[in-house]
Amino acid sequence: MRRFWPKGAPLSRRAVLRGLARGAVVTVALPPLEAMFDGHGLVYACDSVLPVRFGLFFWGNGNLPDRWTPTDEGELWTLTEQLQPFDGLQHLISVITGLEVKFPNESPHGTGLAGFLSGSPLSNLGDDSSFTAPSLDQIIAAEIGGETVYRSLETAAHSSTSGRSFNGENSQNPVEASPLALYERVFGETFREPGETTEVDPTLGLRRSVLDGVMGDVDALMAQVGAADKARLEQHFDGIRDLEMRLARLEEDPPDLESCSVPGTPADSYPDQEGRPQLSAVSRATCDLLAMALACDQTRVFSHWFTDPVNDLLFPDATAGHHDLTHNEAGDQPEVNAITVQVMEEFAYLVRALDAVDEGDGTLLENCAVLATSEVSLGQTHAIDEMPAIVAGSACGRLVQGLHIRQRRENATRLPLTLIRAMGINQASWGVDEAEETQGISELEA
Amino acid sequence: MSPAALLLALLLTACNDGGEDTGTTEPLVLGPEPATSPQEPALRRLTQAQYTRAVLDLLGDDLFVPTSLEPDSAQDGLHALGAATTAISPRGVEQYESAAFELATQALIDPAEPLGCEPEGIVDDACAEQVLAPLARRAWRRPVTDAELQSLVDVSAQAATELADFHEGLVYGLAAVLQSPWFLYRVELGVDGRLTDLELATRLSFFLWDTLPDETLLAAAEAGELSTPDQVAVHVDRMLADDRARAGVRNFFTEMLELYELDGLNKDSTVFPHMSPDVGPSAREETLLTIEDLVFTQDADFRTLMTTRRTFLDRTLATIYNVRAPERDGFGLAELDSGGPRRGYLGQVSFLALQAHPVSSSATRRGVFVREVLLCQPMSPPPADVDTSIPEPDADSPTLRERIATHLEDPSCAGCHQLTDYIGLGLEQFDGLGLYRTTENGADIDPSGDLDGQAFADAWGLGAALRDHSAFAPCLVETLWRYGAGHMLLGGEREALNWLVDGFELSDFSFETLLRTYATSEAFRTVGMIE
Repeated sequence: MRRFWPKGAPLSRRAVLRGLARGAVVTVALPPLEAMFDGHGLVYACDSVLPVRFGLFFWGNGNLPDRWTPTDEGELWTLTEQLQPFDGLQHLISVITGLEVKFPNESPHGTGLAGFLSGSPLSNLGDDSSFTAPSLDQIIAAEIGGETVYRSLETAAHSSTSGRSFNGENSQNPVEASPLALYERVFGETFREPGETTEVDPTLGLRRSVLDGVMGDVDALMAQVGAADKARLEQHFDGIRDLEMRLARLEEDPPDLESCSVPGTPADSYPDQEGRPQLSAVSRATCDLLAMALACDQTRVFSHWFTDPVNDLLFPDATAGHHDLTHNEAGDQPEVNAITVQVMEEFAYLVRALDAVDEGDGTLLENCAVLATSEVSLGQTHAIDEMPAIVAGSACGRLVQGLHIRQRRENATRLPLTLIRAMGINQASWGVDEAEETQGISELEA
Repeated sequence: MSPAALLLALLLTACNDGGEDTGTTEPLVLGPEPATSPQEPALRRLTQAQYTRAVLDLLGDDLFVPTSLEPDSAQDGLHALGAATTAISPRGVEQYESAAFELATQALIDPAEPLGCEPEGIVDDACAEQVLAPLARRAWRRPVTDAELQSLVDVSAQAATELADFHEGLVYGLAAVLQSPWFLYRVELGVDGRLTDLELATRLSFFLWDTLPDETLLAAAEAGELSTPDQVAVHVDRMLADDRARAGVRNFFTEMLELYELDGLNKDSTVFPHMSPDVGPSAREETLLTIEDLVFTQDADFRTLMTTRRTFLDRTLATIYNVRAPERDGFGLAELDSGGPRRGYLGQVSFLALQAHPVSSSATRRGVFVREVLLCQPMSPPPADVDTSIPEPDADSPTLRERIATHLEDPSCAGCHQLTDYIGLGLEQFDGLGLYRTTENGADIDPSGDLDGQAFADAWGLGAALRDHSAFAPCLVETLWRYGAGHMLLGGEREALNWLVDGFELSDFSFETLLRTYATSEAFRTVGMIE
């Protein structure tokens, strides 16, 4: 019975969904998804069943490069003080050091951020600046996010965090900082477990009718406004179409994925303790949900903003806010060091959570590439010549794990370009002006 | 009040300021309003506050309004500006959709007030139209076309048929109204560079009330009765006399003073034992009550905000200020000690705690806020590649003044830090939460300083210097202009702005008069042409 569903068959999932989105009546059910496993139980990794996924784990205020960068390069390298949390996980990550953002460092926490994550400069140097190009997660989501219920998910570990996921200039994706709200959004009422074949909810189609009308209104308004507003309304329009597609997908039988199961309900609140936010608990609850959202193929792209650039949050045991400490802690900054280690513990938790999900005869992590990074290296001087970067997962075997790759002030955009290509996206170059890059990091490419 | 009456009201006798004696007294009159040429109009998305107020006005104030909405984004501190530049995200679309259904369900299923008609059967287009037509008109702030109404009725009928329930069907029609761009955006495009009466009604009501026009204003606009300055003035006076004007003024200052940040006030409670989750919201209320009192109760010289001894405290704040709580529950009027340095806005927790670090005060942050927000003097960010660390206290440098001496002497830092830090050092007798102190690490704190040539002895003196600063009142007017117009000021608007500043001064700095003058001005209804 089991056979590979040939590519380009008339009833591809994409075609069915496209038909649905246009309101066409599609009477033929999708093929059962186990049909996409081969006769030996092997999985076609990175195919339409177990696709490649992308994740971003971001934290603010950088690291301490002296205590971060491993001495040895290649496969034989030793975990440094700040990378200790990856003890036992070293074979699942590659650490890339020495990348430099090539723009003039004019905005203390903005140049490195926008330069690395969007390959473009900021719109201005003020506090309210915007990216001028989509952020890496959205570049990738635009290509691989189209077939799932959510094109991408944006999450955070604290309510004051706003993240920096941009669709383009002045178009930012808000983050969800409540694990319960994330749970209800992804696994709430509309979620159906694998194999569940209930009757189609009639309200889904009615909601789409309403959205059709709204799209018409937005379209009509577009004809009356100036160029800047037109661009904003186009984003709005795309968002409505996105929601329509999502509702159409909910009318379909859910993907029958072995590893998918509804996770437990997270706590409804995480109150501050002694005036300190529970960053770790919120982040871990969120990461568990993200792992299951990927396993259930609700999304293929996420960005988790553990903290924001310039955040002044109080970490456990710290005597001042994080940003304050990076500038004002004396000596070799033991508190900043401790915070960086704590942040890495949280990234290591995410890596473990993805590694713990079996997929086919591998793990979910193997079908992912997750980039962890910050907007600067040494926070004290806002340095952007040693951008911290860790890539976990192999993107279905397209990336090499377990390496320390030393880049000698190479263009930082090399890494995003490598990751974009690892997603199966054919991208000749990435970044503008000084940041433009055509070459990936060859050591990282399998 | 008509503009002519306003001119009379603004007549003032020129005071003899000890200078040249001309022997005559010339009346100072606000001259004619100069022309203005603003930028191309921009759609403004309703802020979270406006969305919330609008749906309560539209559907009944007993509704629960979902709080999970597209977040506001501040530009130059103002949500009013961010709302005119940012796009609605896909997540925002999703949130507006679910909010629309949640609100429509609350309003139409078991409504508190019966609907205007009894449906005859599951589908009753006439009844649906009777319910939806007035809601759409009010929500969209304009007459609704037949085609638009028909499409709302059709959506309702389709849903009613499918779900076999008239009211359930109506929910879909109302959800369509609430997701329409005509509700979510303020469409103020103008004709030949001037807002139409309907567009003016929307701009006026969001400016003065931060919500939708009421029936009286909307009906006047539909009848073309907002065309002349006198007609507009009648409505502006009516609106300023209405309690909703308080909500409008509160919202303006919430944005200008960034009081929305107080919900996330981040303080180490081991360093500040007075810190609790109540402090931020209480501090915001203190500042807003002080402003309401100045504007509406006293109609006083608004600059008094910098020096007033009157404030409003609850128990949470009274403990921090170390005074007796004026009321057992809630807020009450308090007169602060005449000898102490805590006076006016600069002595309030909403400023002192917000413009500080989680564990300490910050002379720089407080100074930057005063420069940028109160004086409209933008400061450039620090260069990216400098070590900005402040040394630990020791015997030679016990207080912040000694510890930041380098910033004030090093030529590469001093250019900016002299402008900001001397202001902040004047406020050092208030710690990072706003508690009064006279020493730091055992040494006396010296709060004296100088603001652009005006010497001061302490925070109170600094407040007085700010009140009299030549940039203070113009900055307030400029910020109000940006808030009302929804864009940064362009060169072509300068003259009209200066005219408004003159009017503010001539009214002895009455904020209510400022609102009236601006709202009735030609500048208020002038928009740029769409390219």
